[in-house]
Amino acid sequence: MSNDSILKTFLVTFSLCVVCSVLVCMAALVRIDREAYNQLLETRTTVLAAGGYDDQLAKGASADELFANFEMKVINLDTGEIATEIDPAEFNPKTVMDNPDTVVAIPAAFDIASIKQRPKFVRVFIDNSKEQIVVPVSGPGMWGTMAAYIGVKNDGTTVNGLKFYQHSETPGLGSEIERPKFQNQWIGKKLYGNSGNLAIKVVKNGRFDPNGADAVHTIDGLAGATVTGDKVQAMVQYWFSDHGYGKFLAKYTKSKE
Amino acid sequence: MANAKDALLDPLFNNNPIALQILGICSALAVTNKMSTALTMSVAVILVTGLSNASVSAIRNHIPNSVRIIVQMTIIATLVIIVDQMLKAYAYEMSKQLSVYVGLIITNCIVMGRTEAYAMKNPVYESLLDGIGNGLGYSLILLIVAFIRELFGSGSIFGLTILNPANNDGWYVTNGLMLLAPSAFFLIGFIIWGLRTWKPELQE
Repeated sequence: MSNDSILKTFLVTFSLCVVCSVLVCMAALVRIDREAYNQLLETRTTVLAAGGYDDQLAKGASADELFANFEMKVINLDTGEIATEIDPAEFNPKTVMDNPDTVVAIPAAFDIASIKQRPKFVRVFIDNSKEQIVVPVSGPGMWGTMAAYIGVKNDGTTVNGLKFYQHSETPGLGSEIERPKFQNQWIGKKLYGNSGNLAIKVVKNGRFDPNGADAVHTIDGLAGATVTGDKVQAMVQYWFSDHGYGKFLAKYTKSKE
Repeated sequence: MANAKDALLDPLFNNNPIALQILGICSALAVTNKMSTALTMSVAVILVTGLSNASVSAIRNHIPNSVRIIVQMTIIATLVIIVDQMLKAYAYEMSKQLSVYVGLIITNCIVMGRTEAYAMKNPVYESLLDGIGNGLGYSLILLIVAFIRELFGSGSIFGLTILNPANNDGWYVTNGLMLLAPSAFFLIGFIIWGLRTWKPELQE
């Protein structure tokens, strides 16, 4: 049979397609099988880093064991209550954002970080051994979405750690937010002032005064990344405002007193 | 056997896909800001060029001339998807850093250039070696560029600090240009220059 006959052309392309699709399907099945595990692993590592377990992880402690300190809860941001009707293990942030019933538009007055909408339900990680709670935050950066976890002590104002796990800031400038030098500054800072006002801020690089009255609320920004600093400040301020975790933190702190 | 050895080693210097054929530049710019991403990309490309060359060569006597490009493309795309999915499954963190560039190996001209120019006319073993050789030639340039970019851009190699950068309280002021894609253009230009000065017979 000639290679260029119509029958042979069809035969060759058809059998090739069958073989290739089977191979592609098998590869996709393997990937899907591992996907949930990979995402959980990523969440765990980020939560542990935000909760100040970096050192122990670096010393080779098992992430599984450290993570056993945490208790996952899904909370309703509108009421500030724990949403007992949702199983935290089954919680998927993407499904929440895809469902119009569980997405809340942010009123312009609250939307300092231009996030536009936020989920009604969020999964948080309560750490009984370090008396803290680790919560996710996200918002627009200079070029794309930034996302991080922040650990807050049970007093509801002291930051115990911050860890970015997603961003597309300018390489070498804004991208330094993922470095320990920037992230470690957050440890011990207070989100709120004495009267309960949001006080945390990121100042321009070099304007940070360690002896200033508000040093405990101030993060030194990055050189050449003023916009990124402003966006990080807006994001954190939004998420800890009354429209973000404010209501929940108030109730949570009370329950821990 | 001389033929097989040439098939493997020629693409390293004498007929390097990036420096001589000027193919695959796009991904060479995108994944070379760190050694780890460049190495992963290199392994992925070597696998794809080697296996696609071998597969095309194995069925070369049955490929109808009228659809040969589509047949090659299907084989290449299948291999790339498999590599991409395996990375997503077993090296999730790395696959996130490489983002779309593993999938874009499909459009890397090196792969298709070799199947069309070599694998369609040569036996399986030589084709496999030619594929691996071209993958290695690509990797060689990628790793050289990534070495320079990571060392001077971040002061580290494979993430290990060599020159302690000033933004980490060290002494070395990092070169921001090295973190951006255009620096790879300059470096590849210098490599091409160097290679053609060393081997004047490569000059066109």
